[in-house]
This record gives sequence, C-alpha cells and structure tokens, in this order.
Amino acid sequence: MDFYFGLAQIIGVHTLLGLSAYIVLLTGQVSLAQAGFFAVGAYVAGMLTVIAGWAILPALAVSSLFGAVVACAVGFPALRVKGLMLVIATLAFGEAVRLFFFNFDYQVAKGGVKLGPLGGEGFRQIRYFPEHGWTTMDVMLFIWTLVALAMGLLWWFDRSRYGAVLRAVGEDELAAQSVGINLTAVKVSAMTIGGAIAGLGGGIYAHYTTHIEHASFGILLATFALAYPILGGLGSVFGTVVAAIFVQGFLVEGLRFLGDWRNLLFGALIVLAMNVRPKGFLDAPTLLWIRRLFGGRRGAA
Amino acid sequence: MLDFLQSLSDGILFGATYALIGIGFTLVFGVMHKLNLSYAAASVGGAYCGLLVLKLAAGAPALVVFFCAFLAGGVIGLFVYLACFHFIPISNPLAALMATVGMLLLIDEIIVHETDGMPLNYPALFDDVMLRFGEFTLRGDLLMVFAVSIVCMAGLLALLYRTRLGLATRAVSQQAVAAQLCGIRVARVNALTFIVTGLLGGIAGAMIGASVGTLSPLLTTPLTTKGLIVTVIGGLGSIPGAIIAGLLVGGFESVLQQFRGVTERDLYVMLLLFVFLVFRPGGLFAPRGGRD
Repeated sequence: MDFYFGLAQIIGVHTLLGLSAYIVLLTGQVSLAQAGFFAVGAYVAGMLTVIAGWAILPALAVSSLFGAVVACAVGFPALRVKGLMLVIATLAFGEAVRLFFFNFDYQVAKGGVKLGPLGGEGFRQIRYFPEHGWTTMDVMLFIWTLVALAMGLLWWFDRSRYGAVLRAVGEDELAAQSVGINLTAVKVSAMTIGGAIAGLGGGIYAHYTTHIEHASFGILLATFALAYPILGGLGSVFGTVVAAIFVQGFLVEGLRFLGDWRNLLFGALIVLAMNVRPKGFLDAPTLLWIRRLFGGRRGAA
Repeated sequence: MLDFLQSLSDGILFGATYALIGIGFTLVFGVMHKLNLSYAAASVGGAYCGLLVLKLAAGAPALVVFFCAFLAGGVIGLFVYLACFHFIPISNPLAALMATVGMLLLIDEIIVHETDGMPLNYPALFDDVMLRFGEFTLRGDLLMVFAVSIVCMAGLLALLYRTRLGLATRAVSQQAVAAQLCGIRVARVNALTFIVTGLLGGIAGAMIGASVGTLSPLLTTPLTTKGLIVTVIGGLGSIPGAIIAGLLVGGFESVLQQFRGVTERDLYVMLLLFVFLVFRPGGLFAPRGGRD
C-alpha cells in the first residue's frame, strides 16, 4: 500500500507544480521558470527545517513566500517582453537558478554531522518527516490537503472577477487593455501566485524525497510543469490534476514494464496528444458534456 | 592579457556554432512566429546521424560525416515540421510549442536509447594544426569550424536574398496572409524553412561535435538555452543579429570560463541575457514592427 501512497505524494506535488504554471498560462504567458521557483522553495524549506530547526508548516509558508517574491522579481523585467521572448527569458532564469544551486555551499555542523546544501552533491538528510514519526499515509494526506487548498483557491479565483480578468488578458491583450485592465499588474500578480504555489510544492518535495540536488530542477521539470495544464486543458483546474495523474500514474509508473521504451513513448505521446487534442483533455466541449452528465444547474448554459 | 585574448579568440571561433543554432531559432520565428524548442536537439540528432556513416563504412573521411549530418538535419527538420506544426491549428500556439517540447524529449531519448547515454568520439579536420603567433595560438579545428559556419551563413543569406524561394520566405515572414493572396503556398514555404534550418542545424551539430571532440546527449540542454539566448540578444527574427550575438556569447563565455571556472560560466551568460532583457529588450537588431 505504501507504494500507492508514495505515488499519490508524487502526483500531489506535481499537481502543485502544474497549478503554478496553470495560473500563469491563463494570462497567455508561457513560463518555463516554474522549476526555478520550485527549486527555491525546496532549498529554503529544507534549510529552515534542517538548519534552523523550524516546524514544517512555517517552513512551507516561508518557502512559498520566497517563491512568490522571486517570481514577482522575475516577473517585472521578464514581462516587459511578450510571448515567446518570455519563454526564453524564463527558460534562462530556470537554468540560472539551477546553476546557482550547483555552486551553492552552506553547511552547518550539527551534532557532529555537517548538514546543508553542498554544491553539486546536493542537500541530503532533510529528514523532518521520519524524525517526527510521520507515516507515508500521513505525509500523503498532508500533501493532498495542501493540494486541495491550492486547487480550491484557484477554482475560486476562476469564478471571481479576478479570474475573468486573467482570462481576458489571455484571450486578447489589446482588448483587455482597452477596457482599462492594467496588463503588467495582472501578469505580475499571476506570476507571483504561481511562484507561491511552486515554492510550496518545492518545499514539500524537499521533505518527501529527503535529498535534493540541482539536477532535479532542470528543463525537464519545467516542461512537466507546463505539460500538465496544457495537456489537461486550460478550461478548468481539474484538467491539471487529470493530466498529472495521467502522466505520473500512467506514463511514468504504469508503463514501467516497457523499460527503456517508456521514455521514448513519453515524448511521442505529448506530440500525439497535441495533434489530436490541441486544446487539452478537458477542453470546453468536454467540460460541457461532463456538466450535462451530472445534470448540473449550469449544464444547459 | 594574453590569456584574455587567447580565450576570447577561441570563444569567438566556437561562437560561430552558437550563431548557426541561433539562426535556426530566429529563422523559424521570423517565418512562422513560433518557437521550435526541439531545434537544438534536432541538430545534435543530425550530427549523430552523421556518425552512422562511420558504422556503415569505417574510416570514412570526416567531410562525408559532416555532409551526412547536414542531410540528416534536413530530414529531421521536415519531420519536426510535420509532427509539431503542420496539423496543429495556427490559432493554438501553445499546442505547437508543447509539441516541440515533446519532440525535444523524444529526440533526446532516442539518442540516449541508441548510444546508451555514452559520449561518442566525433571526427574533426585539421585538429593537429596549430597556427602560432608567438605565444598566441589558433586551433586548426576551431578555424575550420569557423570557416564552415561562415560559408553556411553566406549560403543562407544568398538563398534568402537571391532566390525566388528566399523571396517567398521573406514575403511570408512579413505578412503571411498577403503572401498567400499573391499565390505563395504558405505551408510549402513553412516546410522548406524547416528543411533549410534543419540542414543548418545538422552542420552546426557536426561542427560542435568536431570542435568538442565528442558528442553526448548532455549537449542538448545547454545548446537549447545558448541558442535561445543568442536569439534574444540578437533580436528575435534578425539573422545578422543572431550571427553577431553568437560570436559575442561564445567570446563572453570563454573569457568567463578562463577567469571564473566552468561551473559558474553559464550563470554569467544568463546574467548577460537579463541585462539585455532589462535594458534592451528588443535585442541588438530589433526588427521593425510588422503590419499585422
């Protein structure tokens, strides 16, 4: 059973990563920096619980805050450039963060053992969960509570005026600007919220793997972050979850029997999915169909 | 001072390959206004295909390997176009972008699968030649890389500015709808652009293999970022910009490698990019805004 709890942990963290890219994508911006914010969150939370001896919740709050601050700081210069330039800028930022942690040493001796990040070797022994006697199921429930909170928050945003503003900017910047929407404020705020969610996800990730290193936060992770909302569709937050379950549960774990071929299939399936369903799994007609199926009030709309 | 000049000149010579990769990104962007993130991986893939010749005929001369890499790059380019752009609606740029990312992973994994992730030796020309000017030296293989790159760039510019295909390509990049109204088959021009950039990419991958001496799947990520950085610094869509920015980035990173070490080098290249984004977001040669 622990295997499935462990898998659920991975899916939970990747859902957070996907959600952080989702809100940025709503404004029509493609950010490959989410892995960078994720890395910042992971290192900050790890250092707080291991070196400073904090409890997990305040550490996660601070890691989330750090993610938000960094994202906001990146957002201002990067969002001056539009569309594809942003892809490049954020890609470079993500790589810069990774290289920063590759060169980052900060070790403290504690009880005869040196703890803390050590450049290329990474940051070992982030053992908050085992030290405090959390079982795999406890951790899994803890993660999914946070995922549910983040999803609830985004779902609520989506139905509020703010969500409408985000989508307006994503649909047509010129039209949004002409009805008095401040484009920079909207984009930077979406980026900041995305950074906060990615920082939170990174903080959790550091604690369930207990060992983080710069190589885990490369372009591949940034790609995963983008892949979830795009594969799932931008119509609803649930698309991201569906895609995270599909990718982590089916493609990564379920196809394990294929051995080496699994990785080949992964890229090919993304290409195929984009050709067959360019708007994602849960696109607008599918969402409508699901609503009808459950006979919801808004089904007829 | 000599160290500085030496690493600067080595870097500029090697930077020619960055310029080729940058041109590939920038050309596709200029024509289709889309980003093909799989381009650097496709280039390395083309270079690997060149190595297949050595498997078929051991001891084949390096030039044959380069030529096969060149051709294979073109074939891969066409394949990328068909898989990631042709069937995906134009109105959905996100899907095309994501598809190229999938392609990047696919090409990467095919390489790892076929070579078991081990680096392979790559043939070079003139790698035993060394031009000496007192203490200052120029490596023969880097000079060869530089010369081949310059010839390819000249060929590309001739293609773009002296042929009917080039005229059509430039017309599509300025205004796709108007070009279509003039009877230009846009889809065909797009496909040809991918083939041309693929050919360039194949030769760029081969040149990188020749100057580094080995080819490894680990090359694709840094090449993707470097190529994109070159594209931005030069100005998206500008070919002369990409050439100059490629040489600039090559020289810059080589000098920093000399003074700050290989692990920190790329960090400064990213900083250079952010300096450009903040102070000159259009790049060195920002093209004038088109009429859409």
